[in-house]
Amino acid sequence: MSPVGATYWGIPGYVIFWALFAIAFGLFLQRVYFLYRLMRLGKQENRFGRIGERVGGMLVETVSQWCSLKTVTPKDRAGIGHALVFWCFCLFFVGYIIFIGLAGGFGLAPLIARTPFETAYSSILDVAAVLVTLALIVAAIRRYVLRPQRLVPSAEAAIILLMIFSLMVLHVLGEAFDLAARGVHASWPPLGAALAGFLSRSGLSQGTLEASYRGVWWLHYLVILGFLVYVPRSKHLHILASFVNAFFRPLGPRLALAPIALEEQETFGVSKIQDFTWKDLLDLYACAVCGRCHVNCPAQLSGKSLSPREFIRSLKEHLLEAGPGLLARQTGTSSVSQAETQTDTPTKTPLKTMIGDVVTEEEIWACTTCGACQEVCPVNIEHVRKIIDLRRNLVLTQEKMPETARAMLRNMQSRGHPWAGIQSLRLRGDWTSDLGLRILAEGDSANTLFWVGCTGALVERNVVATLSMTRVLKAAGVDFAVLGESEACCGDPARRAGYEFQFQIMAEQNIETLKSHNVREIIASCPHCYNTIRNEYPRYGGDFKVVHYSQLIADLVSHGKLRLTNELSSRLTYHDPCYLGRYNSIYLEPRQVLQAIPGTKLEEMERSRNTSFCCGGGGGHMWIEEQPGTTKINQMRLADVLKTGAETVVTACPYCLQMFEESIEHKGIGDSLKARDLVEVVEAAMTQSRLD
Amino acid sequence: MNTIVCAKQVLDPEIPPARFKIDPEAKQVIPPPGVPPVISVYDERAVEAACRLKDKHNGKITVLSMGSEKAADVIKHAISMGADDGFLLQDPAFEDLDSFGTAHVLAKAIQKIGGYDLVLCGRQAADWGAGQVGSILAEMLGIPVVTLACDVQAEDKTLRIKRLVSDGYEVLQAPMPCLVTVSTEIGMPRLPAGVRLMMVRKKQIPIWNAQDLGAEPAQLDKTKAHMEITGLSVPTRKTECELITGSTPGEAAANLALEIAKLI
Ligand code: SF4
Ligand code: SF4
Repeated sequence: MSPVGATYWGIPGYVIFWALFAIAFGLFLQRVYFLYRLMRLGKQENRFGRIGERVGGMLVETVSQWCSLKTVTPKDRAGIGHALVFWCFCLFFVGYIIFIGLAGGFGLAPLIARTPFETAYSSILDVAAVLVTLALIVAAIRRYVLRPQRLVPSAEAAIILLMIFSLMVLHVLGEAFDLAARGVHASWPPLGAALAGFLSRSGLSQGTLEASYRGVWWLHYLVILGFLVYVPRSKHLHILASFVNAFFRPLGPRLALAPIALEEQETFGVSKIQDFTWKDLLDLYACAVCGRCHVNCPAQLSGKSLSPREFIRSLKEHLLEAGPGLLARQTGTSSVSQAETQTDTPTKTPLKTMIGDVVTEEEIWACTTCGACQEVCPVNIEHVRKIIDLRRNLVLTQEKMPETARAMLRNMQSRGHPWAGIQSLRLRGDWTSDLGLRILAEGDSANTLFWVGCTGALVERNVVATLSMTRVLKAAGVDFAVLGESEACCGDPARRAGYEFQFQIMAEQNIETLKSHNVREIIASCPHCYNTIRNEYPRYGGDFKVVHYSQLIADLVSHGKLRLTNELSSRLTYHDPCYLGRYNSIYLEPRQVLQAIPGTKLEEMERSRNTSFCCGGGGGHMWIEEQPGTTKINQMRLADVLKTGAETVVTACPYCLQMFEESIEHKGIGDSLKARDLVEVVEAAMTQSRLD
Repeated sequence: MNTIVCAKQVLDPEIPPARFKIDPEAKQVIPPPGVPPVISVYDERAVEAACRLKDKHNGKITVLSMGSEKAADVIKHAISMGADDGFLLQDPAFEDLDSFGTAHVLAKAIQKIGGYDLVLCGRQAADWGAGQVGSILAEMLGIPVVTLACDVQAEDKTLRIKRLVSDGYEVLQAPMPCLVTVSTEIGMPRLPAGVRLMMVRKKQIPIWNAQDLGAEPAQLDKTKAHMEITGLSVPTRKTECELITGSTPGEAAANLALEIAKLI
């Protein structure tokens, strides 16, 4: 008889079974409903379109465990363990439904128990139990002995590890006592049968065996229910929330920012937890505190106070702490009398100010918006837009920002570009002189426009690359025009620093200019312009075909329109700019171009492609001073370059180029290492036989 | 309290020095192409001072700027910082006026607005740097003037002004209405942020010409100007570098001291 069929102290097992289930499931639902209400404190956001794609993506990502397997590197194989535990967990979950739920609770044991199916499935679970146990041992050793930087040892993690372990043990014990009590001598399921043989030989009485079986069965059931109750109350909430988060993931360009809703009149951006959207709050639930973001964040690694892991974790704690009060106030205001009586009683616990007590201004400004955190996060958390939302509040409402940021933003507002005040400044149209370019005057039209960008037009070093670019385009017979002195900043530095309205003004003006010249296709040389015009202008009515010059050159080379004939015999390494790589998945084309040059040897840095390490210049950080007393990010990246032994570091972004030039000069190694823009290398391969 | 701020549009002082060109014949500056003019730094501080007073005491800020149509941008900039209104003073007769002529036009405009408690100007314009308009304007309006303010506070009907002097500051009290010229030491002007920045773009700035203001032709007559430019040149700067050495750092320092002593 199944343990549920028995009677205990006069109470039928079924009653106990369902009563326990009701309690546990009730507690589970209570918590889930509470979390749901907290999440609904957030602002509206539409994440419901393209349902099919959402479901599909969610299943592919989770079932295949691509979410954690994508993060596996030779140095960090924990993702494999996670995938294993996940798959085994799924097997056990189905097993629980069949053998405990259906066979036990619903009394279908006669149909299920002792069938070949049960033996087969249990055998599979035995194997799974071994795998899980091994994974748990590795996890425990990592967590408590090796202690990698990305993990914070916590009691929660220990509790979960123990719970899973006990589930494995109880599974095997259950099988064994069942077989032993029934006196069955079998060889399957392997672990259960082996242990059963041992129990049979141990001389325990039939009664003891039967009682033990029931005991083990009920204990097993209790631990499962305990798991159900505990999960939504711990960081393992991610087991549930990450599915939901995968469903609601951004479907377009992942790192594109959304405009500020203009109906908010008094304050802008986010200063209180309920100013975030519900999706932002869901993100907080989904975080597994795995710390992958923490160990890939250039701000964190260079010693700044920002850690994306801690950022998300602190926000979650704050939500759980401040949320109940907010919910009470919400229900309070609906009944006016209650709200009135409450006004003169001071709030018991003074609420924390989110910016300051939970997240510091320093942290908010330390982010380079490189997107490394989002790239490695297994559960689709969007860190960057939260940080920008906080900056928006600091800039637009509180007028608090580092002095260097303020100076840059003032330039953006009154001079239309971020560069005023530097030594090597040029005037906007100067670079075009004597080149015989088609400069668009009012009323002129052009199908293809070369969008130079502020840095390429205004800063001495970058102008060199811009000139190179025009010569290469001409040599390839590309028909293009430029705006010359009427080109304006795309607005990216303003936007990433939270100065949203200035960005919007610039976007609208640029779109107007581009449309007035009937421009259809834009060749961008700066990845920041490329990203902004391509991914963010459509929200303001600007739909242009945008190509990055690395794509164009790769195309020209492959079609034989551009011949890279000179042997350059040089060891190169390529640095992926964040806004080209992670923001726009352009990894291949620049490499194709470099590999097409005879004699070059392309060495990859350890951190490259999607895990490339920021040069330190994104998110307004070309102008914002790095926190004093910390390592400079560009120097860290230079160290990566040096490890490859390359003589030239090639990049395809004007900021990266400046950052490398600066770090090379700082280190005084200008003789042995050069920083070059991709287009400069291309021109050299066309016209000369040395890269100088 | 009602404040009127006078603000001037100037050539961007941040342009690369090599690109600063003048026409010595016409005695004029040739603005480089594609560089938008900006609000004079000191006048921006005057707007900031007005905004700080408004933050505390409410009231209205009106901005005046004399110049071409482009100078409307200065007024818009001030409005995006927190000013309420502005008028552009534009007339062919206003071009190339000296400090007296400029002060006359501004005085007429201020009288036309009327009902003011405080007039704020920058300590001087960031282009010509004459620093006279403020004082002349106060004289014409018949109100007291305090120059070089680094802090302006209002109490009832009086102002408390910290005024820069060579070795610190003095604190003055003045009755309202009063004119104050503001110096950079007042602190960084605010970053125009909120929606104002967007709203102001479409705002039409009203234009007042000589007739609207009832400006007296005699005061605008350039042949009777109080000031005449006799020459204009870009200053040339020569740097000579001499390395002072010594066998020990102490000796080098002593040699340096000797060299400096020769110069003073
Ligand atoms: S975007 Fe980059 S700098 Fe910012 S938190 Fe993420 S990893 Fe760190
Ligand atoms: S945000 Fe993502 S990567 Fe970072 S700790 Fe949480 S789950 Fe891991």
